[in-house]
Amino acid sequence: MRYADFTWYDLVLLAQGLGVSLGLFAVTSLFGLALGTVWAVIRYYGVPALTPVIAFVAELLKNSPVLVQLFLVFFGFPAFFKLNVTPVEAAIVTLTGNTAAFIYVVAVAAIDSIGRDQIEAARVSGLTRWQVLRRIIAPQAAAFAIGPLIGLMVNQLQVTSLISVIGVMDLTKIGAILNLRTLKPFIVWTAVGLLYYLAAKLIAGLGWRLERRLSAHSAWRGL
Amino acid sequence: MLFDPSILVPHLGFLGAGALLTVEACALALLGSLAVGAGIAMARTSASAALRKAAAAYVDIFRNVPFIVQLFFFYYGLPEIGLYIDAFTTGVIALSIAGGAFASDVIRSGILAIDTGVIDAAQVSGLSRRVIFTKIVLPIALRTSVRPLGSVLINLILTSSILSTITLNELTGSAKIVAADTFRPFEVYAVLLVIYAALTYAVSIAINLLHRRQNRHLGGEVA
Repeated sequence: MRYADFTWYDLVLLAQGLGVSLGLFAVTSLFGLALGTVWAVIRYYGVPALTPVIAFVAELLKNSPVLVQLFLVFFGFPAFFKLNVTPVEAAIVTLTGNTAAFIYVVAVAAIDSIGRDQIEAARVSGLTRWQVLRRIIAPQAAAFAIGPLIGLMVNQLQVTSLISVIGVMDLTKIGAILNLRTLKPFIVWTAVGLLYYLAAKLIAGLGWRLERRLSAHSAWRGL
Repeated sequence: MLFDPSILVPHLGFLGAGALLTVEACALALLGSLAVGAGIAMARTSASAALRKAAAAYVDIFRNVPFIVQLFFFYYGLPEIGLYIDAFTTGVIALSIAGGAFASDVIRSGILAIDTGVIDAAQVSGLSRRVIFTKIVLPIALRTSVRPLGSVLINLILTSSILSTITLNELTGSAKIVAADTFRPFEVYAVLLVIYAALTYAVSIAINLLHRRQNRHLGGEVA
């Protein structure tokens, strides 16, 4: 006996799915931001051996489907390295790596956008390498990178929908379950799509506010 | 266990058939995306405010809802309204609709970059609005946006892997079957990752050549 009608509990399920999607998005974005920035800093200092490896890995991750990356981590790693990988762990590892590859590109461009003369002037003034990175490069690079980063984040939120394929109970998976139970695809997928849309708008709006704050120093203040 | 890609050799024919299906789907979806994109771009640059708003809403929706949700909407939804089409056709339609939203942005900026003198000259020569759009505006806009349209195509190739979730055995779908047959998912997906990266790399080289050929009269202005 299949209960085919919508119930109020379905809303709780959808909210739960949205929470899982947004939670994993937030965690993997933060990890990805950290990892991608570290890669870019390694490139900036020109660490031998590491730099070309990072460039190659980033290129590979950017130019292959996230779905295949997920399958490699979720099905491939356990078989090859004899590990236990849960769907959530596989999702976190894959999305972190994928986000990092795209952030690496943005971060490299952001660091390159800062004139060498500024860095030389700072070094001559007696700032240490760390102080140059922290006080000169980081604030300007952040203001430069925030625009592309917002677009990237909105995109990465949509990429999280793919983790439903390996069984993570995210918003898309909840949609698939409701779809199979109620057999009302138009209503279910419209509701799921709307939730993703609103989440994307929320992220874009937050990003826009952050962008205004980071670029406040160069904003037009009037005469 | 050693990394041994040679276990794939007996399955190369099967994977090749899958790759062919991916290429077919992407080629059709590229044509569909260009058609949809040109139409939407025309609406977004039209003189009518209602048309502009409707086209902007289309782009906004299909760019901010994950592709897998759109795909499930069509795959499970279309039979509901009495349209029984196979997974391949559904996939190509969904790819064209989503790709069209991205292509329209590119074509739109190509249109906006056209020197207005060209359009004035065409109007003075007495050409109809339809002829001006199809014979003058669109060719110029498409030619200057070869490279960004190339990234839309590369995205289509990566996104087409998602068609494996609606039972279509394209490259990723075939690889899933091979992984289940051989019990060697790591080798299968690692090789698949490299195949996709090589495929998109080859496409990007071809796009660069096409771009240079199409814009050779500009003499390096659009390098």
